[in-house]
Amino acid sequence: MKDTFRGGVHPAGRKELSREMPLREFLPTGEMVFPLSQHIGKPAKPIVKKGDAVLVGQRIAEADGFVSAHIASSCSGTVKAVEKRRVLTGGMMECIVVDNDGQFTPMEGFGRRQEPSAVTNDEILQRVQDAGVVGLGGAGFPTHVKLKPRDPQAIRFVIANGAECEPYLTGNDQLMRTRAAEIVEGLELTLRLFPNAEGVIAIEDNKPEAIAAMQGAASGKSRVRVQAMKTKYPQGGERSLIQAIAGVDFPLSKLPADVGCIVDNVGTLYAIQRAALYNEPLFSQCLTLSGEAAANPGNYIVRDGTSFAELLEAAGGVKAGVTLKKALAGGPMMGIALSSLDVPIQKQNNGLTLLADDPNEKAELQRTSCLRCGRCTTVCPVGLLPQLMAEAVLMGDLKRYETRLYGLECIQCGSCTYICPAKRPLMQTFKQTKSEILARKRAEGGAKK
Amino acid sequence: MNTALNLSSSPHARDKWTTGFIMRVVALSLLPATVVGVAVNGLHALLVVLLAVAAAVGAEFAFDKLCHKPDTWKDGSAVVTGLMLALSLSPTVPLSMPVIGSVFAIIVVKCCFGGLGKNFVNPALAARCFLLISFGRTMSTFQMVDGVSSATPVAMMKAGQAVDISKMFLGTASGVIGGSVLALLAGGLVLWALDIIHGQICFSVLGAFTLFMALFGGQGFDWKFLLAHLCGGGVVMGAFYMATDYVTSPVGKLGQAVYGALIGVLGALFRIKGGAADSFSYSVIIANLFTPLIDTYVIPKPFAFRRNAVRREGKVPLSQRIPRPVVVLTVITLVAGLALSGVYSMTKDTIDEQNRAARAASYQAVVPEADRIESDAALDQAVADLGGAVYGTGFGRSTINEVYVGADAAGEPVGYAISVTTADGFDGNITFAVGLSTDGTVNGIAFTELHETAGMGMRVDEPEFKAQFAGKAVSAFVLNKAGGSTEPEQIDTISGASTTSGAVVNAVNAALDFFQNVVKGGNE
Repeated sequence: MKDTFRGGVHPAGRKELSREMPLREFLPTGEMVFPLSQHIGKPAKPIVKKGDAVLVGQRIAEADGFVSAHIASSCSGTVKAVEKRRVLTGGMMECIVVDNDGQFTPMEGFGRRQEPSAVTNDEILQRVQDAGVVGLGGAGFPTHVKLKPRDPQAIRFVIANGAECEPYLTGNDQLMRTRAAEIVEGLELTLRLFPNAEGVIAIEDNKPEAIAAMQGAASGKSRVRVQAMKTKYPQGGERSLIQAIAGVDFPLSKLPADVGCIVDNVGTLYAIQRAALYNEPLFSQCLTLSGEAAANPGNYIVRDGTSFAELLEAAGGVKAGVTLKKALAGGPMMGIALSSLDVPIQKQNNGLTLLADDPNEKAELQRTSCLRCGRCTTVCPVGLLPQLMAEAVLMGDLKRYETRLYGLECIQCGSCTYICPAKRPLMQTFKQTKSEILARKRAEGGAKK
Repeated sequence: MNTALNLSSSPHARDKWTTGFIMRVVALSLLPATVVGVAVNGLHALLVVLLAVAAAVGAEFAFDKLCHKPDTWKDGSAVVTGLMLALSLSPTVPLSMPVIGSVFAIIVVKCCFGGLGKNFVNPALAARCFLLISFGRTMSTFQMVDGVSSATPVAMMKAGQAVDISKMFLGTASGVIGGSVLALLAGGLVLWALDIIHGQICFSVLGAFTLFMALFGGQGFDWKFLLAHLCGGGVVMGAFYMATDYVTSPVGKLGQAVYGALIGVLGALFRIKGGAADSFSYSVIIANLFTPLIDTYVIPKPFAFRRNAVRREGKVPLSQRIPRPVVVLTVITLVAGLALSGVYSMTKDTIDEQNRAARAASYQAVVPEADRIESDAALDQAVADLGGAVYGTGFGRSTINEVYVGADAAGEPVGYAISVTTADGFDGNITFAVGLSTDGTVNGIAFTELHETAGMGMRVDEPEFKAQFAGKAVSAFVLNKAGGSTEPEQIDTISGASTTSGAVVNAVNAALDFFQNVVKGGNE
């Protein structure tokens, strides 16, 4: 058992901006927009239509297939439309638009606690699926799928991911400080599904308060322990945690469950606890509003469907005298740059980072030829050779890229781009190349049929 | 929102280090070595450094302007190239050398191949080798502060002379401007600690060099010998600054280790077998040429595809525990070794035959009155009794090879030819025949094996030197370094080649001694 993985980078954390700000619930007043795809897998199918009245927690879209997730309304009001709206990726997506009545009237049937002993294992699985829980670490993988591996007996570790290695983000830190017992309860519920597994709560060592709180909550629990991790990006990556805790590396063609591991974000475990014991659907999660351009950085429990713009305005907007250069859904390492803040918050969003200064703008000016310094190789957590990969792409040798250099194994963490002194857009190149290769493969596969 | 927001792909954070910053740190790390070099060697060395740097930056600036390229001269790499070139030059070179070298490095080696990151050999080293080849004599004259020219420590080691390791370590010995091992080591280790240069390269260079030297250097694990070689001839400069050049070294960790080992082995091989004392530059250049090959074939697999990706129960078979490069290198070494010994044994007889013929001719030459050259059983036995050991005392490392009798038509002996070898030459053995008439008068000497420095040691084979022995009947010759000899036993040394002259005189004396004590003694 180690406290870290191989490679990695040390971007400036900037967590001090918001780490001490307590979680506050934010109740929106404007219209709420629920995109039908807030998860990995097939988009959900709407089950409401224009004019329908909805309540908080009411299912408004249903999972379409096994790898998909239900969507619940986070407000009460009337369905205004089911139409294409702009979402955070910049494109248009089918969304359910609800006219929020501001009452937040809850639906019957959730909110009353049942003791864990009164809930069966099958009920846990069913309620997690019903609640539409997805991975809240950023990817949004449907949690009920994750909890049903082929062989539950073979799972050795259930890892609670509290690393929060993205700079600026502190929502999980606050969640662990204030909801420690609930998270441990969620982890214990999950462990019931995997009789041979050990529960490990992994937290980066820059969050001593969270570590102490979780240790307190985990004390006396025989199957749960807290592991302090080295502060390093991408420590919170699924593969990084498994490499550190289980000592296993595995290719992208395999799932964590194939090597005996299940990794869930602490926010997800909290959602599992709410779903299993309170029968509560997932319609809110914690989100950090931070960045040099934010007037009042803070941690919020936000309702899905809330507009980023409304949240920012209520939180005091952009800092006076500062120009907002870039707004990110998420943190700077993996976050998505927003063209407009007038897009809805989705389930897997955990941050809104407002940058007064765009490092990529400066990087464009500092770009030189590749020095072949090898810093990208040193930091790659997968063990790839980004320099040679970029060279192969430049030479058009995609065969070498794929077979000899294992280019498709890139997890797109961005460490190589971050560290590059010549400011080469490495990860961006790999992202594009990967989609090109996959598209070509699909085309070839289609032609064969 | 009134202003448009910036859009780009993640990551939206960048490390502070830029190309220019790394170049500045490398240049700064060379500062201690530069300061020591200038302090020891004086103002001229400072001028060499400044001119090299200025010429390098100027050349890149001019190239950028002439070819309408973006201003790459600002990235600081030209400064590093100029500085590294200057530090690998002798402090007494004419001021044209650093300028020519820097311009060659930047224009020919770097810019013509596409600029920063595209050159296939290290520009500073290529320029150094270019200067060495083009201006051999000027480049390899090393002068000390007091104006006395002296051999570099490595040249002295080759000659079997003692060197002062502490002087080499501090940088006060004769050599290049950046000769201070201490200062280079300090800068190099800082770069390593900052993760700017790769430990896999510098330490495998040093390790392979030391190991090879210890195994094949002929002195075993003698730490003084090894240390002297490590401190001399730019090994430290090569390992920490030249070999680690980003552009011309492999990217993968495994490849870097292979590349470093290649440099170390080549450097040691050239040091043991090669002629030039500054051969380390060439070994780095040669390894540079292997970099694309290494980058193509020595690619470490991602962690997930390595054998130890999953902690396994049970034993891994031996064949899987030995890394493949070790197997490959071992096979290459074996094949090369077998090929070498095969060629040696195939050609050995022919070579021996030719040597015998050459010797026979030389015997005839030094006993001109003889009709035929014959062997003598008693004399052969006397030579065999010596057992090939160093002959007597006071003759240096001389050995008697064989003795022949020159007979006239009637079969009467008219003279003797004694073949003698001395190991005290400047470069390997010197073998020659000494011809004596029956009364002990020297007829002359004729060389059969001589590898001395052209224009210097080689001049012992000129009549001017050889004739000094002829027609003299003395018990021993004396080397006269002052020249202008008057006494018959005095032999004028060849100026600049007193080592070779002395070795020859000693060996002639050994032959005379053998003649007086064994040949004559045995017959009377």
